[in-house]
Amino acid sequence: MKGRAATPLIAIVVIVGALLAGSLIAGQEPLLGLDLQGGVEVVLEPVDNPGDEVTGEELDQALEIIRDRVDALGVAEPDITRQGDRIVIQLPGVDDQERAIELVGQTAELRFRPVLVGPLPLSGVPAVPDETLDPEPSHTEPVVCSDLILEGVDMVSDGYNGGPSLAQLETGFVTSPANDLAGRTVILDGEAGRYLLGPACVTGAALEGASAELQGVQWAVRVTARSGPDGIDRFNDAASTCFAAIGGICPAVPGDQVGALAIVLDGQVQSAPRIQAASFDRDNINITGSFSQAEARDIALVLDFGALPVEFTDPATTGLVRTVSATLGRDALDAGLLAGAIGVAIVAAYMIAYYRLLGVGAILSLIVSSAMLWVIVSFLSDTRGLALTLAGITGLIVSIGVSLDSNIVYFEHLKEDILRGRSLTSSIDRSFPAAFRTIFWANLATLIGAVILYFLTIGSVRGFALMLGIASILDLVATYFFLRPFVRILVLSKRFSGSNRAFGMPPDTEVEAVTA
Amino acid sequence: MSLMGDLYRGRPAVDFPKVWKRMGAISALFLVVAAVALFTRGLNLGIEFEGGVSWEVDGGDVSTGEVRDALEPLGFGDARIQELGGNLLRIRAEAEATNTEETTAVSEALAAVAGVEVSDVSFSAVGPSWGDEITSSAERALVVFFIVIAVYIWIRLQWQMMAAALVAVGHDILITVGVYALFQFDVTPATVIAFLTILGYSLYDTLIVFDKIKENEAKAAANQKLSYTELVSLSANQVLMRSINTTFTSVLPVLTLLIVGRLLLGAVTLQEFALALLIGILAGTYSSVFVATPMVAVLKERQPEYRELRERLGGQETEDLEEARAALVRSERAGERPANTGLVSRRAKERAARSKIRSEDEKRHRPVGETNVSTQRTHPPRPRKKKRR
Repeated sequence: MKGRAATPLIAIVVIVGALLAGSLIAGQEPLLGLDLQGGVEVVLEPVDNPGDEVTGEELDQALEIIRDRVDALGVAEPDITRQGDRIVIQLPGVDDQERAIELVGQTAELRFRPVLVGPLPLSGVPAVPDETLDPEPSHTEPVVCSDLILEGVDMVSDGYNGGPSLAQLETGFVTSPANDLAGRTVILDGEAGRYLLGPACVTGAALEGASAELQGVQWAVRVTARSGPDGIDRFNDAASTCFAAIGGICPAVPGDQVGALAIVLDGQVQSAPRIQAASFDRDNINITGSFSQAEARDIALVLDFGALPVEFTDPATTGLVRTVSATLGRDALDAGLLAGAIGVAIVAAYMIAYYRLLGVGAILSLIVSSAMLWVIVSFLSDTRGLALTLAGITGLIVSIGVSLDSNIVYFEHLKEDILRGRSLTSSIDRSFPAAFRTIFWANLATLIGAVILYFLTIGSVRGFALMLGIASILDLVATYFFLRPFVRILVLSKRFSGSNRAFGMPPDTEVEAVTA
Repeated sequence: MSLMGDLYRGRPAVDFPKVWKRMGAISALFLVVAAVALFTRGLNLGIEFEGGVSWEVDGGDVSTGEVRDALEPLGFGDARIQELGGNLLRIRAEAEATNTEETTAVSEALAAVAGVEVSDVSFSAVGPSWGDEITSSAERALVVFFIVIAVYIWIRLQWQMMAAALVAVGHDILITVGVYALFQFDVTPATVIAFLTILGYSLYDTLIVFDKIKENEAKAAANQKLSYTELVSLSANQVLMRSINTTFTSVLPVLTLLIVGRLLLGAVTLQEFALALLIGILAGTYSSVFVATPMVAVLKERQPEYRELRERLGGQETEDLEEARAALVRSERAGERPANTGLVSRRAKERAARSKIRSEDEKRHRPVGETNVSTQRTHPPRPRKKKRR
C-alpha cells in the first residue's frame, strides 16, 4: 500500500528534477520584460510623400497591425506608442533583436507577382544586379492581371514595361532594388531559386491579415482578404488568371497545369504558391505546402506586414534603432524578489506552525510546482519570447498564496473528518477525493477564465492569462501527484502514525474517551 | 474558549445569520462610497491609457536618480526615465502637451540638471501604448468570461449560486476600483492585471464555500431538520478556518511586497499593484462569506420546498449551531452519500471504500458487504463539551 503511494511521488520528483536539470543545462532562463531589463527600440517614421499626408487614423491602424505582428512573435510584452508622427516600438530582451528589427522594420510593399519562369536553381549562376534600366514613375502602380491578357504581351521574351526578360534570367541578372517596380517584370531571388516574375497584380493593401494554422497534419497559412474591388476582387482576378495559366501571364513551372503567384517582400520571393482554384472566399484563402510551423508563421507574418496602411522609412538605414534601459530597473526587481522571499518564508513558517508535518508537505509541494513553473517559463521565454514583467512576477508571488489554498482545503477536510471521530489513517483516503473535487472545480473555473482571456485578448493581458492558466494546472498536478502520496506516506509511516499532534490535527483522544 | 480555539477544533462558532445584516450594511456603505468616488472623482488613468508627453535630453554623466530628484519638486517624481543608447535620456510622464507652463518647467529643470540649453531638450506628445484595441479586447473577453463562468456555475451548482457569485465578484471589483478612484492611484496595465487576479481569486474563494454548501445540502436533505439558512451558516463555519488560513497565506506575500516596496525606492508600480491586490484579496474573502453566502440563503429560502421546511420547523431555529452540526452528521451517517461523484476515478473510489472498511474493522469487527457503506453508530459522533457555556 505504502509502496504504491510512493510511485507517483518518486516519479514526479524525478521528472521535475530531470526537467529542471535539463532546463538549467540548456541555459534556459526566464526572459525579463522591458520594465526590468530594457530592450531594443525601433522607431518608424512615415516616408515623406508630398501631397500625401499621413493621417492619425492611418498611423493608429498601422500601430495596431504592428502590435499584432509583435504579439505573433511570441507573448512578449512590447511597448508600442505613437509619438507625434512616429511609431516607437520597444521590445524586451535582446535575443531576438535582429529578427524583431527585421519584422518590425521592413518597409517594402508586399506584392503578389505571377511567376513567369522559375524557380531556377541559384548555384553556379552569378547574380548581376540589373542597373541598366531607369526607374520610371509610370511603372510604380500594380496592374490588373486580366488586363494583361487583353494586351497580349509576351512578357517572357520581351519583358513588360521595359522589365527584364527570359534572356536576362538565363545570364544571371537580378533586378536591383531601384528597378523593382510594381508595374514591370522583374527577376528576383527566393529560397528555392531565381524567378522571372510578371507585374504585381495584388499588393498587401488587399489583405486584412494572415495566420499560421495546423490543417490536418500540415502547417498552412490562412489569409483573409479585405472585401470590395480593391480586396478580394483583385485577388480573385489574379487567381482566375493564374489558375487557367492563360496567355503566358502565369505559365509557372513548366509542365504544370496551374500557375503560381509569388509572394514578394523587399525584393525577395517569400513563397510561390500554385493557385488551386479560380476564385476564393474572402476569409478562406489557404496557402499550403510542406511548411514547418516556423515557415508558416514567417509567411503569415510577412503577409500581415504587407497590410500596413502607411509606408515607413527603413529604421535600419535612418539609424532609428537603439537600445533602451529598463524603466524600473534592477532595484525594483530585487525589491520584488526580496519581498517574495520574505513573504514565502513567513507563509512557510505559518503553515508549519499550524499544520506541522502537513505544513511541511505543503511547502514541499509548493517547491515542486515552483520548479515546474520555472521550467515552463524558461522554456517559453526561450522559444516564444515570453517576457516576465514586474507585474508578472508579482502575480506569481500572489499565486503562491492561492496555490497553498489547495493544501489548506485538503487539510481542513482531514480535520473535519477527524473531528467526526475518524482516525487520521482512515481520514486521509476519505478526505482527499472530496477535497480534490472541490479544488478541481474551483481551479477549473480559473482555467476557463484564463483560456478565455488568452484567446480573446492581446498584449500584456494575454501574457497574464497564460501564467494564470499554467499556475492553476500546476496547482492540480502538484496536489494530486505530490501532496496526496506525500501525506499518505507520512501518515502511514510507523514513526508518526497515531500522533495527530504531529500533523497539526486536533487530538482524537477526546473522541476515543467517549467511544470507549 | 476563544473563537480561534473553537474554529481550530472545528466547532461552529459564528452565528452567521446574526452578523449578516450588519455586514450587509457595512458592504452597502463601502459600495456607496466606492460608487460615489468613482462617479465624482473618476479613475486616474495612467500614461499607458491616456498618453502623455516625452522629453529627450543628452544627459552626459547625469544619472537617472539625479533627474528624478530634479523632477520631484515639479510633481513629476513618478515619471518613467529610460536611458536610450549613448547618453540620451528619455523622460515620459502624464501631462497635457498643451499645458505649456508645466512642460516648460520640466524642460528647464532637465536642461539645468543636464547642463545644456533649454532648446536642446526635445519635447513631444506621446500616444497611449495600451491602445483602445487592448482595452476593448479585454472588455470583450471579460463579458465572455462572465457569461461562461455563469453558465459553468449554473450547471455545476445552482442558478442561485451563480447569481450570488457574480454579485460577490462585482462587489469586490467595485470596492477595489472605488479605492483607486478615492485615492486617485494611477491605473496602469499592472492595475488591470491586478483586477483580473482579484476576479479569479474572488470566484475561486466563493466556489469553495458553495461547494461546501452543496455537499451539506445533499446530506441535510435526508433528515429535514435544518432550515436552509442554518445549513448555509453551518457551511460557512466549516470553511471559515480555511478562509482565514488562505487569506493569511495570500495576504502575507502581498503585504511584504507593500512594505518592502515602500522601503525601497523606485518601486512605485510595485506598491500600487500590491495595494490593489491586498484590497481585492481581503474583499474577495469577505464577500464569499458575507455577500455571496447570505445571498444564496435568501434566494434559496424563496423556493417552496425550503419555505415549507422552514414552516414545518415552526421558526424554531436551532439555537445551538453545534447541535445543528451533530444533526447534520447524524443524517449523513444515516444515508451516507457516496463521497465521490464525477472526477474521482472508480479505482480511487474503490480504494477509498476498501480502506474505510478496513479502518472501521479496526475499531469494531463489523462485516460490511457493499461498497456503499453505512456506518451506523449508536453514539453521537461528538461529545458535548461540558465546560462550554
